Amino acid sequence: MKLYIKNFSSYRSDKEEIDIKKTLKQKYKYDTRRQDAFIHLAVYGAKLLSEKVEIKPDDEFYLTSGVGNIDVVQRTNTTVYENNEALKLFDFINLLGNTTSYYVASALGLKSKNIFQISDNFTYINSLISLYASINNSKKDAILCAIDLLSEPPEITKRVFGADEVQKMCSSVNYQKFSLSKKDAIAEIEFDAKIYSLEEIKAQLVYNNHQIETSKTKMFETLASYKVNDALKDGSDLVFIECFEDRYKILKLKSLR
Amino acid sequence: MNAYINNYELLCDAGDTEGLMEAIYTKKSAITVDENYLKDRTAGLGIMQYSNIFDVLEDIAQKVLDSSNLENFNDTLLILGSSVGGMQECEDIFYSQKSYKNIDPDRYSMNVLTEHLGKKFGFYDVRALSTACTSSANALLLAKRLIDVEAYDNILVVGADGLCYSTVLGFSALGVLSDKACKPFDEDRDGMNVSEAVAMLLIQNVKTPDSIELKGVGASSDAYHMTNPDPEATGAISSMKSAIKDAGLSVDDIDYINAHGTATLANDRVESLAIEKLFEHNVYVSSTKAITGHTLGAAGAIEAIISCEVIKKSLIPPQTGLKNQENKNINIPKESVSMKIKNIVSNSFAFGGNNASVVVGECQ
Repeated sequence: MKLYIKNFSSYRSDKEEIDIKKTLKQKYKYDTRRQDAFIHLAVYGAKLLSEKVEIKPDDEFYLTSGVGNIDVVQRTNTTVYENNEALKLFDFINLLGNTTSYYVASALGLKSKNIFQISDNFTYINSLISLYASINNSKKDAILCAIDLLSEPPEITKRVFGADEVQKMCSSVNYQKFSLSKKDAIAEIEFDAKIYSLEEIKAQLVYNNHQIETSKTKMFETLASYKVNDALKDGSDLVFIECFEDRYKILKLKSLR
Repeated sequence: MNAYINNYELLCDAGDTEGLMEAIYTKKSAITVDENYLKDRTAGLGIMQYSNIFDVLEDIAQKVLDSSNLENFNDTLLILGSSVGGMQECEDIFYSQKSYKNIDPDRYSMNVLTEHLGKKFGFYDVRALSTACTSSANALLLAKRLIDVEAYDNILVVGADGLCYSTVLGFSALGVLSDKACKPFDEDRDGMNVSEAVAMLLIQNVKTPDSIELKGVGASSDAYHMTNPDPEATGAISSMKSAIKDAGLSVDDIDYINAHGTATLANDRVESLAIEKLFEHNVYVSSTKAITGHTLGAAGAIEAIISCEVIKKSLIPPQTGLKNQENKNINIPKESVSMKIKNIVSNSFAFGGNNASVVVGECQ
């Protein structure tokens, strides 16, 4: 499976300190009411992408996350059980996966299909496969948003992820716009549905003069998307191997710059 | 590459597939008028008979496997569609401890259901979609597309949502929850019933003697309003049209529409309008949510199974609970209609104008 990347946008909270809500309101004149931090983060990334590439109404939209909006789950449960209050209407609405997709679609003027896919294993690559299968039929372009929000306090996110208390984590949102067409592309990306064993992966790594970086600290589930954007920024090639419970998936990025 | 629905099973408030179809044809709503779930009001709810949702998932997956041509699910992709996944689990943990302090990552919301099935049956790969009430319809859509590109040969589509306070209180806060069995398409309808269900369909690239073909899928997002559909029905029309086109059919080829038909004021008005505008022939329409209630993320899978059964039984389901039809320009039967049924559209619509339609039909 091969796709072409038209452009990308990237934000990571540990690299850049930004008041997202304030930026959305002041810079983009975006109405942030009724939305929470997860939605704001997704919309912020979308606004960044729209500054770099043309967004068409019939672009398909995919949003993926490791565990989704943890904050709103915690908030709804606290409201109902701890404070013994009625569920707030917009907390309920924001609880649903496609609410974030709706706000992004509205912000970008998208009218085509939108899907929220969640997975704590191979989060990004599995979403790429879904996206590819869809636009291979529709022949449209597609936008993929990979997002993870570090909730407050961070301990909740760490527990939900099953991460150590000392693990460094951050919020991140990464977008790419994909196409089946090479025209105006900045990179091509290859991947497949196959799950590899360690031995098979070792065989894949017979490269000379390539730098191998091992990310032992898993900062967020959608790290693969950030790494792709990092390589796109540098115009470098990348082989990314994701591991989940001794099973591996691989994607290969080739710069066309 | 063609996609075939080869095996399926479900559990909902009306029982398993056989029990549900009997309830549909005998017009016996399975909705319970419950006075205990909510503190301050009565609610019409669809309640399954089960001990815990993991047992239900395992039981149904095993039944589908046993009836299939597979020895195991080791080469099968699992796609779950759910609006709130394992929220029941989250609520249980929080309710008992008033804190997330001891939350178990394996019991957190969405992934808990896929992870459980993945580990129990050794699926090749798993993923979950959450697009509220279109979740498992979108899972079917994705399954067809993945078979199209030959990424997988076997895909188990699961629609699952357990009853939980977050959804029941949420729909209550929205003011769309009925306190009795819902009445889709009736001018006196007063809202929906939140229900729970688990439904599974094995989609394969090979045809078996009992196959029903998953002929076409379509989706749209009108992004008109967070909770209301576009009153001109553009989104609903677009998803049905693209599913029918994807199936290589024309609107005249559709014999029956299993409507989303939640019995909310907005949905039924707009869906009726969409059907009226798109279909010039007298296509039959009914909503089986009058029997099951709205099973949220499971609805697409449940209603795909109902559609398969309708084709096999050659019997159009009647509309339960209908007395005064609001839109008289669509053909809603009050009694079952026996006829040859070749193709069915099943609709699922969700918040945010997220629309999905699937076309199932007899194999060529």
